[in-house]
Amino acid sequence: MRSVEGRGRTLDEAVDAALIELGETRRNVDVKVLREGTDETLVEVTVIDPAAASSVSAPAQGANGKAETVRTLLEGLLKHMGVRAQVMVRTGSDPITLDVSGRDLGALIGWRGETLRALQSVTNVMVGKHLEEGERVIVDVERYRQRREHTVREIALRAARQVKMTGDAITLDAMQAFERRAIHLALEGDPDVTSSSIGEEPDRRVVVGPRKAAAE
Amino acid sequence: MQGRSAAERIRKAIAVVNAVVDGAGDEEITPTEIAEAIRDCLELPETANVPNVRKFLGEALDATSDGMPADFVAMTLYAALGALQEGHLLN
Repeated sequence: MRSVEGRGRTLDEAVDAALIELGETRRNVDVKVLREGTDETLVEVTVIDPAAASSVSAPAQGANGKAETVRTLLEGLLKHMGVRAQVMVRTGSDPITLDVSGRDLGALIGWRGETLRALQSVTNVMVGKHLEEGERVIVDVERYRQRREHTVREIALRAARQVKMTGDAITLDAMQAFERRAIHLALEGDPDVTSSSIGEEPDRRVVVGPRKAAAE
Repeated sequence: MQGRSAAERIRKAIAVVNAVVDGAGDEEITPTEIAEAIRDCLELPETANVPNVRKFLGEALDATSDGMPADFVAMTLYAALGALQEGHLLN
């Protein structure tokens, strides 16, 4: 897997610098924040191994009829919306994850992923009768959700390091439920820190604190 | 700014429903809490000034009472938010 480091004043600038060097688009890479400061941000950008991590189009997914049905429904919905995009089923994903890709899909993501979230709700209502009870479909556009989960995991690990150094709990910014879930999962195996949440939606925040203090 | 508080309240209701759907595992949300969040939206007079907003909010409330899937409730709330934003763009 090819990977390079990128530097910039902001996270976006650092990622863009690395993308230029790699000659890749954001869709095809995984971003790891190595250092984030007020003056400079350092990231490691890795090209996702197409064999291991890329999505495959539904024809190759023939064995999974349910995923194909769901993919076709979402593709039809996007067509009715006048959105030209390709829908693929992410391999090895549980629950079924549909990757939407194409040009200029920012509007499909919307403010803080709001439109993407709405699209996911509509998709789940549409495909509900094809799914088992409790089963859901995740919709991702240009891997926005995957990137966001990656980013919050990085934030969680950074907070955990700081908590271990200082012994003080840290309250993170308000996050959506799927982001908080990613943080709880990222920290659940850490013997030194614990994560919990405070506040009410939509201002619910994760608190990362020392595990000893939580047990007392 | 008129409409902002209504949008914020609808977004809050959506966040509550999405928390059920996404299951962060750090809170228990009951249908009563979802219904309360939707009623909070209905209480705002500005939701009556824009076509369809109350209609969608009412449908979301009914769906919650009827035990419809959370995704359906969320979809209906997104429709209310869309109608509100569209109404403000037209006015």
